Amino acid sequence: MSRLRDWLFTPMPLARVAWLRILVFLFVIIDVLGLHTSGWYHGWADPVWYEPLVMGKVLHLPAASVLLVQTLKWGTVLAALAALTGRAPRLLGWAVAVGWIWYQYVAFSYGKVDHDRADFVVALALLPTVGLAHVSDQKRSEAAGFALRAVQLAAIATYFLSAWAKIRFGGWDWVNSATMVRAVVRRGTPWAQWLLEVPWTLHWFQWVLFTAELTAPVIFFLSEKWRRRVVGAWFVFHAMTYAAITIAFWPHLVMMLAFLPLEQYAAWLRERFARWRSRGEASVPEEART
Amino acid sequence: MREDATEEATSEVVRLGTPAKAWRVVVVLGLTVLFCLGSLVGNDHWWPFSPWRMYSTSQAATGSVWSTGIEVQTADAPGQWVPAPLTPPNVGLNRAEIEGRIPQIEADPSRLGTLAASHAELRPDAPAWTALRVVRRLIVVVDRKPTGEVRTEVLAEWRAP
Repeated sequence: MSRLRDWLFTPMPLARVAWLRILVFLFVIIDVLGLHTSGWYHGWADPVWYEPLVMGKVLHLPAASVLLVQTLKWGTVLAALAALTGRAPRLLGWAVAVGWIWYQYVAFSYGKVDHDRADFVVALALLPTVGLAHVSDQKRSEAAGFALRAVQLAAIATYFLSAWAKIRFGGWDWVNSATMVRAVVRRGTPWAQWLLEVPWTLHWFQWVLFTAELTAPVIFFLSEKWRRRVVGAWFVFHAMTYAAITIAFWPHLVMMLAFLPLEQYAAWLRERFARWRSRGEASVPEEART
Repeated sequence: MREDATEEATSEVVRLGTPAKAWRVVVVLGLTVLFCLGSLVGNDHWWPFSPWRMYSTSQAATGSVWSTGIEVQTADAPGQWVPAPLTPPNVGLNRAEIEGRIPQIEADPSRLGTLAASHAELRPDAPAWTALRVVRRLIVVVDRKPTGEVRTEVLAEWRAP
């Protein structure tokens, strides 16, 4: 039990949380402005189509209106811009959380819930709990470790629970069904059409995907080296899915970054950039010497 | 002096007190219960704790894949049905949202009039829609391969009064 607690609170660099937050808030801005805009257009849909979810019934959330979607869209963007400064991390972080979640609610309460965006709620809600974290803060903290671990857990739960949903809704036969054929027929890109000509490819892919999802939690038992490889493999899987049917689980992809040493990548980039700049400023004779 | 301080700080670990850890554990347990319960017995209405069911349904290897769309008429070309994009920027709703409400639309086709009204607000420069109908295209699949056969049926129709 205490080992489990130690694992949940493994000290991790505050700088990593700071970088992940920057990526999360940048993503929120891109998402609200361009990636996921169905909530925005619901402002113009007739309230007859509004179908409150449990959350909306509990909190008495109204049907969308033009005023509401404008407020949520620009309010969330402003809060995320302010949160990017790193100041008042709890207040601003939770303001972004409320804005983004409500905006998703508006998108999902008209009859279609996207099934890939729920885990991001965990990142938005728990990253602010770390408090102040600077991108060059070398300290490690248990609060940072907890937030990163919670994001990792939510991201991996997504895979495992979506395998579970396949069993629950599709039955064990899911792996032998034509679900992927259906996806490619409905929204396949030109370079995915050959998959329909060679039916075993999509059939085999369903087995691989289902197995990978069901065994996803194994990632927590791997060595650091293999953990990063597995994260890389998931990114490859998502890139392939995007190429074939233009579906990407964007918020989830941001969450998977919680597995990576972001502060080390940032330092590496900064060093490269500094070297590139100093080379640009170097005088000609110096260059001739090398 | 300051630089020395940061050098030393690299091995520094900021700990959490027992209450701070306790409530975090409670939050994680609470979230775990909600997500698992949502996946076990919940439905879409439980969002964000709804089941993660993207592509979770089974599609028969032989059967038909259906795809819903709308067709409209404008005053410029009365009597001529033209396919229109069933997208949020065009009508405020997307295809899946219409697909999920087919029974309600069939019971009360006048609902489709709201799509024409939303279209007029979203695209004020486009010609107004005088009639709108929902069509379903069935794409026949045999042994995981589309045969090329497509059947089209009209599900509901609305005309401007």
